[in-house]
Amino acid sequence: MDKKRIWEAVRPYVMILPAMTGIVLFVLYPVAYLIKLSFYKYNLMNKDKSKFIGTDNYTQIFSREDFYTALLNTVVYTIGVVVLTLVLSLIIAVWLNKRKRFNAIVQAGIFTPHIISIVSVALVWMWLMEPNHGLLNFLLKTFGLPGSTWLQNSSTAMISIIIVSVWQNIGYYTLIIVAALQSIPPSIYEAAALDNASKFQVFRKITLPLISPQLFFILIIMTIGSFKVFDTVKIMTGGGPNGATTTLVYYIYEFRTNSIGYASATGVVLMAIIALLTVVYFRVLSKKVHYQ
Amino acid sequence: MWKKASSVLLATTMLSGLLAACSGGESPKTTDTGSSAAPAPSGPAGKATVQFWHSLGGKNGEYLDAMIKRFNASQDKVEVVGTFQGSYDETVTKLQQAVAAKTGPDISMLERAYIQMFADSDVLEDMTPFLKKSNMSQDDLTPGLMGHSVFDKKLVSLPFNRSTPILHVNKTMLDEKGLAVPKTWEELKTVANALVIKENNEFKRYGYSMPYDTWYPIAMISQAKGKFFNDQGTSIGFDSALGTKVFKFLKDQQNTGALYYPPQQDSGNIVNQMFISGKIGLMYQSTGVIGSLKDNVKFDYVTSFLPMDAVYATPTGGANLSLMAGSKNKDAAWEFLRWAMIDPQGGLQFILDSGYLPFTKKMVESQQIKDLWAKEPNRKVAYDQLQYAVDTNKHVAWPQVMQEFFKAIQAIMYDNKAIEPTLDTFKKEAERLLKG
Repeated sequence: MDKKRIWEAVRPYVMILPAMTGIVLFVLYPVAYLIKLSFYKYNLMNKDKSKFIGTDNYTQIFSREDFYTALLNTVVYTIGVVVLTLVLSLIIAVWLNKRKRFNAIVQAGIFTPHIISIVSVALVWMWLMEPNHGLLNFLLKTFGLPGSTWLQNSSTAMISIIIVSVWQNIGYYTLIIVAALQSIPPSIYEAAALDNASKFQVFRKITLPLISPQLFFILIIMTIGSFKVFDTVKIMTGGGPNGATTTLVYYIYEFRTNSIGYASATGVVLMAIIALLTVVYFRVLSKKVHYQ
Repeated sequence: MWKKASSVLLATTMLSGLLAACSGGESPKTTDTGSSAAPAPSGPAGKATVQFWHSLGGKNGEYLDAMIKRFNASQDKVEVVGTFQGSYDETVTKLQQAVAAKTGPDISMLERAYIQMFADSDVLEDMTPFLKKSNMSQDDLTPGLMGHSVFDKKLVSLPFNRSTPILHVNKTMLDEKGLAVPKTWEELKTVANALVIKENNEFKRYGYSMPYDTWYPIAMISQAKGKFFNDQGTSIGFDSALGTKVFKFLKDQQNTGALYYPPQQDSGNIVNQMFISGKIGLMYQSTGVIGSLKDNVKFDYVTSFLPMDAVYATPTGGANLSLMAGSKNKDAAWEFLRWAMIDPQGGLQFILDSGYLPFTKKMVESQQIKDLWAKEPNRKVAYDQLQYAVDTNKHVAWPQVMQEFFKAIQAIMYDNKAIEPTLDTFKKEAERLLKG
């Protein structure tokens, strides 16, 4: 009898043990180690030469101009990507929602970029955006518009990267929104039609609230994802020109060989920012989300 | 469930056994040495295995592999295993981690600028005693290439695949305009501006170009008689007037089209391509591209010293070889290094194949190099320029300072930021890094 009760108490822990082992080993321990490293001037190859410097790394981060540049770049990138992707995929999804054969083809086409490796995508776009012999400038010139410098000028580089990310993301999120739209019961629309509601009213009062859980999910996933952007930056601009596209993760990456302590401290700061964002989202936005 | 798992496990074991048997059958030679298992560092019957990490891919990688093969065939005590680890930077990252995990190689190729950083962590072996044992001395090596070899009076690396920047010239284009190869900055300015072709507000042809790198501005700083770091290693060694002069020189010409400054990504390939297709007449670029340019250009192609301002000067580049302090096979590894330096089949053949600079005095005097230079005077120019070689960017903190210098270059060359304040910011950042 007693034995059974002990087992009952212990059982849940035993059951989550395998998953927890993984989480502790590959998530919690590395995070703890990262925090530890952030207090050192760390010498990876010769531990005797590492020096505990307290919070010096953090002081340095917050007194360096390039950190704020990187932070600002990341915020600009995130807002750009999240807003553009969300608005565009919502529009496309509403359009695709009418079940037609043609729409299925369009949907497949829009989804394709998502399954292509980001490396190939970035390389092809680099070629398209080449200012002298790239296709985009050629098109602009054919229509009598001035060409852009795209990636090679610090004022246009960020928007160029945002365009590529949006182009790659849009299909995936359209798919999620289309699925959400189709799960709305038609009876609600019929009731609205009987009440002579205008199209805009229907969209604002019925469609948006009913797909808000999915939109909320997209918002969180995309914000976190965009905050961690690295691959497009690494391939297309290397953080330049003149730091115009250096995002936080790329900033950390730049310090990987010679200032591991400083890079770790920046990593901790990034983690804190993302945690904060997530908490704020859940606190503020979750009240506006309508769960059926 | 368990049954299924165990049967899968069993099948896997059997399969791998089968595979092992197959591979054993395919290569009977390896079983001769009596080590069918993983090669032990040094078995009594087997050879001592030396791990050698390098960063040479493509054609140069093949030349290096051939050299390793020649070494392995030349004797039966040491077996060198060469592994390509990616670019110089990637090799550095991997090596740092491997050293920390104590799984590092015995010998590694290190881009010269990173050597100080490794030496400062005490992970590179002092090779002086080995050199003495083999009756050699540092004087046997090419002096212009020794800039990064000695740290705290210890010989921590030997030059191997070394290069310098030189001026590559499209002689045909210059001759059409009746221009001579520029020898000074002023001449460069005149020649480059004369080469510019502008149509409808678009440049069809520029004067000259250079890859996006710290190498070329540093070369110009030393040509103007400045030093990158001061002698105490506490700050940068050129004043604001000198820095402004260098960058203003570049900037003025960029504005007239005399200089095309390429985008950051893939800049080396971009300028090479422009040179080959005649979009620029002159190019600052490494000696490492002489071989491929020679094969690809359809015009009279010559090389020349980098133009001088107050003096001729050039930094050096490329990589050195280092013996790792964590190696368990130092004698065997040294044997390979020694062979590479003195045997005609070693480094000399590699230099002849690849076009890097000869790194011992014996090589320079050898008949093979003399023949090569007689046939290809372009290569000799690079060696001759070594008499003006000066590396003033030596410091443990160089990799960090380099990042800041890159930022300054970007701000000036891409964003038209005012030169003086940018260099002042750079100086401040550099001093902070040099202090730490």
